[in-house]
Amino acid sequence: MSFDEIVCREFVELATDYLEGAMPEPTLELVEEHLAMCDWCRDYLHHIEATAGAVAATADDARFAPAPPDSALHSLVGAFRRRSGGAGGSA
Amino acid sequence: MLPTRPPAPSSAAHPAPDPDAALLDALRAGDEDAFVTLVTRYHPSFKRVARAYVSTDAVAEEVVQETWLAAIDGLGRFEQRATLRTWLFHILANKAKTRGVRERRSVPFASLGGEGDEPSVPPERFQGDGAAWPGHWATPPRPWEDPELRLQSLEARERLRAAIGALPETQQAVLTLRDVEGLEADEVCDLLDLTPGNQRVILHRARARVRAALEDYFEEELA
Repeated sequence: MSFDEIVCREFVELATDYLEGAMPEPTLELVEEHLAMCDWCRDYLHHIEATAGAVAATADDARFAPAPPDSALHSLVGAFRRRSGGAGGSA
Repeated sequence: MLPTRPPAPSSAAHPAPDPDAALLDALRAGDEDAFVTLVTRYHPSFKRVARAYVSTDAVAEEVVQETWLAAIDGLGRFEQRATLRTWLFHILANKAKTRGVRERRSVPFASLGGEGDEPSVPPERFQGDGAAWPGHWATPPRPWEDPELRLQSLEARERLRAAIGALPETQQAVLTLRDVEGLEADEVCDLLDLTPGNQRVILHRARARVRAALEDYFEEELA
């Protein structure tokens, strides 16, 4: 990496460090100078943020989430019931 | 306009509230529906994290099962110094590591998820050394308009799922804990025995690959 500027090829490797606030001050200044000038790297940064957001949204997407196997769930509920000391089913 | 500087990671002085607090009360009251909700809710993430340590999906399922049995046993001793979620992930990681050792698997995170130093963006998308602006974009990314909206289609969500599923297991584990479950970086380092730097490298590789898949999808949509 050069010492006086960051180029786009270098920035794309630093996007997560930047978003995590995990960048030493000299590098942070170079990154912010670069971002101030480079629309494309701002677009790339936005892509990474949007990607993280899209991944987060998969948590709510039950359609794709593998459910626990019925037999496994059944035996776990049995173990939970014994532990809770209740003989009856759920209300 | 400069993008706003991201906020500093939240400090231990302001712990996040436990998202499962209501469920925890119900569990302690023996509510089976709450238990089923919890097991179902965490199943995909538990399986992905377990899978980083063990060799097959079937063994990962067993690790998840052992985790819940241990959690049922330990619930009475859980003191809420951590969130329920963090406590559960700790049990899971320990069970998965033990199982991985028994399978004589190498430590998965020692190799940074393998695959060498893969660049986040293919080198041909940047200008070469003889060009006017070496290292600057040759084929720049296009802005994404309303990605949340465009990612709501069934096809988009399938592509996203496939991209995540195609990542190396270690990358899936870190991406799941950070971006799906929203755990803090230091919690993930602690769970997976990662240095902060390695945690960020793995997270960034995962995000960069998924970003590339989404970019392909958006470009196809425009074509």
